[in-house]
Amino acid sequence: MSESPLVLMKDIVKRFPGVLANDHVTFELRRGEVHALLGENGAGKTTLMNILYGLYKPDSGEIYVKGRKANIRSPRDAIRLGIGMVHQHFRLIPTHTVTENIILGLKEAGFVINYKKMNEEIKRLAESYGWKINPDARMWQLSAGEKQQVEILKALYRKAEILILDEPTSVLTPQETRALFRAVRRMAEEGKGVIFITHKLEEVMEVSDRVTVMRKGRVVVTKNTRDTNPQELANYMVGRPVIFEIEKKELQPGDPVAVIKDLYAMSDKGVLALKGVNLEVRRNEILGLAGVTGNGQVELVEVITGLRKAVKGRVIIDGKDVTNRSPREIMELGVAYIPPETLRWGVVPSLRVVDNLFLKAYRYPPFSKSAVIDWKKVYEKAEELIREFEIITPSPFVKTRTLSGGNIQRLILARELSGIIGGGVPKLIVAAYPTKGLDVGATEFVLKTLVKYRDMGSGVLLVSEDLEEILRVSDRVAVIFDGKIMGVFKSSEADIEEIGLLMAGVKEKAKAG
Amino acid sequence: MVEWLESVLAGAVQMGTVYLLASLGEIYAERSGILNLGLEGIMIMGAALSFLFTIAYGHLTALILVVIVGMLLSLILAVMAVSLRLNQVVVGLALTLFGIGMSGFLTHPTIRGSVLLHLNPDLPETALIIQEAPKLPEIPIPGLADIPLIGPVLFKHNILVYLALILSFAMWFILFKTRIGLSLRSVGENPAMADALGVNVALVRYLATLVGGALGALAGAYLFIGFQPFWVEGMTAGRGFIALALVILATWNPLRAILGSLLFGGVEVIQFRLQLIGLGAQAPQFVLMLPYIVTIVALSLLSFESVKKRIGVPAALGIPYSREEV
Amino acid sequence: MALLPIRFERRLTYTRTAAILTTILAILLAFGAVAILFIILGLDVAAAFQTILNVFITPRLFFQAVVRGVPITLAALGLAIAFRMNFWNIGAEGQIYMGAFASTGIVLAHIYYGFLPEVLVLPTMFLTAFLAGGAWCLLPAVLKAKLNVNEILTTLMMNFIAILWVAYLIYGPWRDPEGFGFPLSIPFPDYAKFLFIAGNQAYTGFTITLIVAALIYLLFRYGKLGFELTVIGQSLDAARYAGINIAKAIVLGAFLSGGLAGIGGLSILSGIIGRLRPDLSPGYGYTAIIVSFLAALNPWLIVPAGIFFGGLFTAGEALQATLKIPGAAVEMFQSIIFIFIIFGEFLKRYRIVVGGGGSGG
Repeated sequence: MSESPLVLMKDIVKRFPGVLANDHVTFELRRGEVHALLGENGAGKTTLMNILYGLYKPDSGEIYVKGRKANIRSPRDAIRLGIGMVHQHFRLIPTHTVTENIILGLKEAGFVINYKKMNEEIKRLAESYGWKINPDARMWQLSAGEKQQVEILKALYRKAEILILDEPTSVLTPQETRALFRAVRRMAEEGKGVIFITHKLEEVMEVSDRVTVMRKGRVVVTKNTRDTNPQELANYMVGRPVIFEIEKKELQPGDPVAVIKDLYAMSDKGVLALKGVNLEVRRNEILGLAGVTGNGQVELVEVITGLRKAVKGRVIIDGKDVTNRSPREIMELGVAYIPPETLRWGVVPSLRVVDNLFLKAYRYPPFSKSAVIDWKKVYEKAEELIREFEIITPSPFVKTRTLSGGNIQRLILARELSGIIGGGVPKLIVAAYPTKGLDVGATEFVLKTLVKYRDMGSGVLLVSEDLEEILRVSDRVAVIFDGKIMGVFKSSEADIEEIGLLMAGVKEKAKAG
Repeated sequence: MVEWLESVLAGAVQMGTVYLLASLGEIYAERSGILNLGLEGIMIMGAALSFLFTIAYGHLTALILVVIVGMLLSLILAVMAVSLRLNQVVVGLALTLFGIGMSGFLTHPTIRGSVLLHLNPDLPETALIIQEAPKLPEIPIPGLADIPLIGPVLFKHNILVYLALILSFAMWFILFKTRIGLSLRSVGENPAMADALGVNVALVRYLATLVGGALGALAGAYLFIGFQPFWVEGMTAGRGFIALALVILATWNPLRAILGSLLFGGVEVIQFRLQLIGLGAQAPQFVLMLPYIVTIVALSLLSFESVKKRIGVPAALGIPYSREEV
Repeated sequence: MALLPIRFERRLTYTRTAAILTTILAILLAFGAVAILFIILGLDVAAAFQTILNVFITPRLFFQAVVRGVPITLAALGLAIAFRMNFWNIGAEGQIYMGAFASTGIVLAHIYYGFLPEVLVLPTMFLTAFLAGGAWCLLPAVLKAKLNVNEILTTLMMNFIAILWVAYLIYGPWRDPEGFGFPLSIPFPDYAKFLFIAGNQAYTGFTITLIVAALIYLLFRYGKLGFELTVIGQSLDAARYAGINIAKAIVLGAFLSGGLAGIGGLSILSGIIGRLRPDLSPGYGYTAIIVSFLAALNPWLIVPAGIFFGGLFTAGEALQATLKIPGAAVEMFQSIIFIFIIFGEFLKRYRIVVGGGGSGG
């Protein structure tokens, strides 16, 4: 007897200006299964799920929920059909309480809200999944893991039978991840269907019953998880064998170019984010900084580059104390910076490619004299940089927002590394999440470029949430947790299990091991 | 002395009602994420139309029509800022300029007669040229109005003063204790999230903006028929902008808006009084500058992190929301 | 959005022709809207529009349009600087008043104390008007740069303070002792006024606006400061990251912005009314906001746009004199043009797709 699936999405097509995000995608979710949706960033997974959740309208295609054709025009429709979604970036309001966040939009809450009753219900529901939550706490007081629990409770409280989790582990420690997986399995046992969006192969193997792989907006394959293996899935994902090796010269690291001593700094929220960081980056080496996002990485790179004030401690670049100097002074000492959130920090999307290439160098000779910019020299150099860093753009004069993510990252590399700012090879390269959101080709280009400059004499601080990537290119790995460095290892001698524990803040065991 | 205090306080309540009505509406609009710089224009239109409509139809109809016009004007803002995602500052400013120009145009002696005849062809000749309209009647609350000091200050006003006070409490309750209020606050904080949970962001913003427009126009109408029923072109004289500042002083809280409006109303009343007894008569301009200076100082204080942390400016204020461009 | 049965798609680029066409369309729509209102009220639309048209084809009136366009244009050029760096200077009106105040101060100082040779009076007035207008924009700029105080409200509040300050002076210490008690300063001597060339003052003012427009064009085309202001306007985060001294740039840009409005104030006194008056500007500072938007912040386009609005003010007087249409009609007309220009902005940015794009249902 064939029960109709919880969800059937048929021939879904979704276009964005300039991109075909979903190209005739068909996807099925059964009752009681955890279904992994695997693919690289930009493969179209999140778009597909946003369509199921009513956030986007498909250009064509049909959706059936529990065997009945559904016209999902908004999340309201999706929720009514029993669909819940936990987004990658939490959609919670920091100044509201847990209860207010959960009951928002619920008609059942009544016109005048009975908070006492609601608090009780929410507490009970959380306990049934093994979670302890104070319903009166404000969101900003909670940890990332707890916020995610609130997100999931939000869906479960609405009696969701279909739960979409978008990259749920990216903000969790390994231990929190395991707890999440237990809860997810329990939901499947209760007969719910869980869609688990991820780009991490090991998670697919661990938690899912079936897996659908997407690439460039299309479904490549759907398989039972037990009938496949990570290597096969990786091949489906990228469409060609992954090149795991990056060529690297054997080099002896030189003198320190950056010394960070006992550094303390506040986060934007006014809490201490760095609590005594000590680090050293040397010439001719890549120091990888591993850690779960949000443990002080961004604050650290911002203090080093002068964008954030240190409360205590020192930053010494090339022998000079630059603590709390301006970004410009530090940049002029030969510090290149590849910022996180490229579109926010790295480029001005509404300006031309050439403007962004010279976002820093416009003020230095030969590109300007006194108060005047010499655009002729700028244009000539821009053409040269576009060739050298293989930036694909119709011309230097198009708006930067028309470029793909990979090309924008190349643009930033060209600006930071080509020597137009200080002349010569940068002494220190601070790269914060430089491959986030990039496809395999662009990722390789970025990593190879970093290695190339390391070979030429730069010291590189590479911040990444991808441990595998760090181990591939770094000479040494430092692990950061809760604003402190938990340990530093030679990459060749690093033990992934131990690093994982350090990333989770478990120190005792590491010492023993 | 008691008499003086009594009349100053009663005056502060009456003057403050202009600010209270306007800022209550603006609090809702801003809580939903819409900054309405058109408030001044909506208020002056409210004042001008209450003048014309009262002559043509009497008080009640005038108030109803003024509220409708206020909503229509704010609808322009809602359509342009919410649906078309245009810059709220610019749209609001355009509305203010429109209100000032239109109100001056419609009430100008050469045009007013024709406007009034369009509204009511049966008006007598004399009605077409008068510069004033009957004031809203006072409704003393029986019993309470006779209490010394408190009575005249609180319980001897026209209907709009009472309405403003009742609205403050009602709007506070709705904002913080009901489902609609939760939706409203959420839309101004994180529209994407509210949308995902099935709150109709556009609808909430439209409604909040319309409430703002209705109360803004009512504030203007009150200024004219409820406070000073003699028409002077541009009689709101920047009070709409002061109301915008008051919203900030009240930290987007309807109850605190009562205190703020009493303060601003009081300053204005005391300034009139001082002039009457000769103080500041040489240079009344300096006293008139006070609300603006206070506002600038307050805005500066509010910018300090330690102050701001406790307040919570609606995080999405002024930012258009579009589902597919998140 | 949910309330309308249509969908908007963001355009990545739009052509210059499309931009010009939408602007012209906006103005035509505004004329249409005003025509409808006039017809309802039984006013003579044809005569009204004829009066407006006359301003632009009758040399004597056109010169007046230019003269009135000068302060608008100067203030709008200043605003173009501020708006490019995303500094919402709503305070041009106050800056105009401060420029007028400062230039009157120089005239009075010269007349009563005579410390300047006559030939230097006008240049000194230019300088002080610029400094005073700039200084008036400085406080909001510093508050914005240092404390992140919203400049929209502060610049707006500063307008009222400036207007009251000038009112105080003109009703008090600066009132003309021989002016029969009217709130007027003593009339400016000829050396404190714009030169009469070929019988009118339009040429002087127009030349000044052209020079300023050219300077602003050069500032944004070749200047480091111009580049920095553009980056700040487009992305404050990226500007910080690029090591731009944001506070310094904002303060400098705001100072230039207010300074030009200040010169606009001078041009009202020296070019139009010849003395200080409490109602010296009928809202030129707000009109300048419309003008800079109409011209899409392009300095060369601001000059004709400013003259167009100067012409509307001139037409307003003619309408009042001949057709008994109140002067407020001009303000109303301007704001309607403004609303349609803003709407045109939407057409430039989005493509309208009717019907929602044929989903599966």
